[in-house]
Amino acid sequence: MIQVDNLSKSFAGGQFAVNALNLDIKKGEIFALLGPNGAGKTTTIRVLTTLAGFDSGHVVIAGHNVDTHPELVRASIGLVAQQTGVDFLLTGRENLTLQGHLYHLPKVDIKARINELASYFELNDALDKQVMTYSGGMRRKLDIATALIHKPQVLFLDEPTLGLDIKSRKSLWHYVEKLNKELDLTILLTTHYLEEADILSDRVGIINNGKICVIDTAENLKSGISGDAITLSFESKDAQTESFAETLTKDGIAKHIQWRGNNLHIYVEHGASAVPKVVSMASEAGLTISELSLAHPTLDDVFLRYTGNTLTDSGEEEAGEEWWHQWAGKGGGSWGNKWKDDDSADEASTSTEDATTSESNQDEPWRAEQEKWAKLGKSTDDWQKWQNQDTSPDKDTTNADAQTTASEETKQDEPAWKAPQEKWGQQGESDDWKKWQKDSDK
Amino acid sequence: MFNDTLHLFNKYLKISLRTPLWLLFNLIQPLIWLIIFGQLFSNMAQLPGFPADSYMDFFLPGVLIMTVLFGSSWSGVSLLREITAGAVDKMLVAPISRISIVLSRIMHSAVQVMAQALVILIVAALIGTSINASVFSILAGLLVIFLLGAGFAALSNGFAIMIQREEPLVVIGNLMTLPLMFFSTAMVPASFMPDWISFLSTINPINYAVEAVRCTLIGPFNAADYFQGLIVVMAFAAATLYWAVNAFKGLRD
Repeated sequence: MIQVDNLSKSFAGGQFAVNALNLDIKKGEIFALLGPNGAGKTTTIRVLTTLAGFDSGHVVIAGHNVDTHPELVRASIGLVAQQTGVDFLLTGRENLTLQGHLYHLPKVDIKARINELASYFELNDALDKQVMTYSGGMRRKLDIATALIHKPQVLFLDEPTLGLDIKSRKSLWHYVEKLNKELDLTILLTTHYLEEADILSDRVGIINNGKICVIDTAENLKSGISGDAITLSFESKDAQTESFAETLTKDGIAKHIQWRGNNLHIYVEHGASAVPKVVSMASEAGLTISELSLAHPTLDDVFLRYTGNTLTDSGEEEAGEEWWHQWAGKGGGSWGNKWKDDDSADEASTSTEDATTSESNQDEPWRAEQEKWAKLGKSTDDWQKWQNQDTSPDKDTTNADAQTTASEETKQDEPAWKAPQEKWGQQGESDDWKKWQKDSDK
Repeated sequence: MFNDTLHLFNKYLKISLRTPLWLLFNLIQPLIWLIIFGQLFSNMAQLPGFPADSYMDFFLPGVLIMTVLFGSSWSGVSLLREITAGAVDKMLVAPISRISIVLSRIMHSAVQVMAQALVILIVAALIGTSINASVFSILAGLLVIFLLGAGFAALSNGFAIMIQREEPLVVIGNLMTLPLMFFSTAMVPASFMPDWISFLSTINPINYAVEAVRCTLIGPFNAADYFQGLIVVMAFAAATLYWAVNAFKGLRD
């Protein structure tokens, strides 16, 4: 249904937006392109939906070549872009009607199709209200409905749940799955949420710097990084620390290790039991650990594994990806480029904001505490101090409250594999935590 | 292509009708000009060789043209907003003619300034300007206004695609408007102008539009002046339209 061979596209500056990309997506499949901002996801979608040209390669969508028959491709696809694109001053019905006209449907068909889509997406009550009165989730649903008005064979969803609250996100997942199952609709979606790719897609392609690093089912990708991730920071990466790292793999403590600068990422089956071993081995080897942290593997770890980079690293290069640069590319001419720099600053700050908000939902509560006891390698004093703090009534009312809400949110939002994280999040009550404390007291 | 344009034009029309205040805001400035300038320069009509009975009569066509310039220069800004909102992508991904996307915006902008001009005409009539109130002269005047509005909307859309930023676009719009007005007979008859400005006015399309609107709405009617103006604005609209459509086609990188 979607056939991409050796697709390359570079920006005006010369760097690759998409580099020798290959995709083969079958009819009825949900395929997720997973990658950080700036990885080339949006560019890929824009090329596949005829919105952008490309330098080389061969793209066939629903049997039509995007280069030679863009109008046939357009008639057989639907696109839900990152920006909603529905008109806020028009009603839902008017938006859908206009869309029907733009796809040259007969008037009678448009009416019938609107009724069908409205009940499908449960928008009946809102249909004759202006879109500006809609919630974010309703807008996104309307947006998807407009993209489906002509019964396309392929649906493209570019970051469909970006900026949605948890409830709307889950409900949207439900619709996407339903569409795929009931209509046998082929769906290509992009996301930088691991759980989204995990829940929705049949196959995931991890994309970074315009290249696909790996294509596999979510199951396989996850099992490759299951367990916990311990990160050790050393003063330097030298022969001594490297041999220590090798010992860890040899002894079977670490399933997989990865160096990034002076940080050693150790992937283990069970973090709580591995940390004491690692720490004692390090002190036996006479190494000083300047920082230690333990976490369940995140998207960062998947990326580290396949790209040698973390999401945070690649975030810095995201400037080229934002929509504005798609427009400011070759078509914009020299005038367009002139203003480009300003924009990259704007866009970058917005995306950083996005990243922090989404991260903080999942990671913040326990990460702060982790950092405190990361200094553990040196002394147990800090640890003790922290433990005392935690039991003081002050902490209970303020911080604990915040953390309960945070972890409740997490529960709704995250799939089962996030559960160990929550345990660590509610530090005081966790059994693992107590055990860990006992160990360190010895 | 015609149907696509019509449907999109309908959309813009609906949006305009739902934000009537915005249309009124655009009228405030021309009305202030009409009333204050009409008073300020009212004695100019007593100078020998002044072609009209009152300055207000003379100045009204200029105000109408000014409304066109102010009004249609927003078209590009709203194009940029639609690009930001993703609405343009939504149109581009539909199997419609690319031309109809630009054309519908320009038609809409031209119709909008025509309606605004009509409101100003009515206000001007109410405050005592003597207008040729025949259907023919009003329609003939509005035709020139429509074409000029289309031309400037096309210019604004073209610049919007070139510059891709709202702020400089607004600055350019404002920067263009006043010199174009001053280098024409909008405020001062040609015989009162220094030679160099008089020369500049002959290569200023605005000048021909002002003259054409003046001869049909205020009079005395002069077919040669009117059709000269009509041809100039038609050529101007055709050229800018062609340019804007091409700029839009080049947008796909």
